[in-house]
Amino acid sequence: MTEPEYAKGYWNPFLAGIALGLVLLATFYLMGTGLGASGAVARTAAVIGHSVAPEAVEHNGYLKEFYKPGRKHPFSDWMVVEVVGVFIGAAVAVLSARRFKPGVGRGPHASVGLRLVLAFAGGAVAGVGTRFAMGCTSGQALSGGATMVVGSWIFMMVVFATAFSAAYFVRRQWS
Amino acid sequence: MTGPLYMFGAFGYQASLLVALVIGFFFGFVLERAGFGDARNLTSIFYFRDMRVLRVMFSALATCMVGLIILSYVGLFDYAVLLEDSLLQTYLWPQVVGGILFGLGFVIGGYCPGTSVVGVASGKLDSVVFLGGMVAGIFVFAAGFPFWGNFYKSSALGRITLWQLFGINEVLMAAAIVIMALAAFWLAALGEKWAPYDK
Repeated sequence: MTEPEYAKGYWNPFLAGIALGLVLLATFYLMGTGLGASGAVARTAAVIGHSVAPEAVEHNGYLKEFYKPGRKHPFSDWMVVEVVGVFIGAAVAVLSARRFKPGVGRGPHASVGLRLVLAFAGGAVAGVGTRFAMGCTSGQALSGGATMVVGSWIFMMVVFATAFSAAYFVRRQWS
Repeated sequence: MTGPLYMFGAFGYQASLLVALVIGFFFGFVLERAGFGDARNLTSIFYFRDMRVLRVMFSALATCMVGLIILSYVGLFDYAVLLEDSLLQTYLWPQVVGGILFGLGFVIGGYCPGTSVVGVASGKLDSVVFLGGMVAGIFVFAAGFPFWGNFYKSSALGRITLWQLFGINEVLMAAAIVIMALAAFWLAALGEKWAPYDK
């Protein structure tokens, strides 16, 4: 199969992986913890919720953790700043490669509507998943994986086993 | 200087946020250059079309894993501090459930949290929608917390590594993982030739 247009022009995956591994290594050397992403999304949800219904957030069993009295603002957090850095780094990479192209990533025959509905549904299910797992691909699979954490390896194996099994049912969005 | 620097007090909280910004910058830059700003490149792995996700992830994991062991061997990194104070804690069953939900979300939605941020920077509307879905998902989790709050912190095994679980040393465990990664790379190439969805 010939390489599709959207897969062209990127780094060799092994070299990209080594570069990513060195970023992760530097993170552990400097901070003693790894990379992350979903924690920043959880804090964003807490802040959005708090702006609409502060009482509900401050009394919610889960979200109140982010709004304890006397604590800093939920955005004053290492991972939130790191994710801001991710956005800036990705933007510089996209622009310098002249790859910025507004649109919806989908298969040639899939409708925009189908793709966006699935993107939202998938995001919601993944969002719940990150809270039970206490992390995502960055925090658990990559960072926990590199430090050989038992729970992270179990999480990673279950994620891939589930995704490979379920792929058949959502194949139309890419076809 | 022996790391982890922050945990040994080499710099303070304000400086750590600057580190976060710089580290995040490189993280995002590399993710984009790996092709992870487009959902099609992220989900191709599940259809055996393009196994780049596996190649990038396992080579990154192995690089960092081996790097940490080498750094600790030459005295530049204190692995014991990591094991005692900052290693992720294992919650067995919540992480299995979380893995199932996350795997479903990944293949349905086409992104994971970090890569969806890269997707937003790339101008992909589906990644913006995915992020919106994640925020909604966190509200669902918060709303249901009275029902599953106890489960969320159950089967806690503490800070435990694979080598401790198997009763071997870390070098042997890391070597086994590297061999497993090499085998996975080999199988990935076979999978691409097989391409069951494209026949």
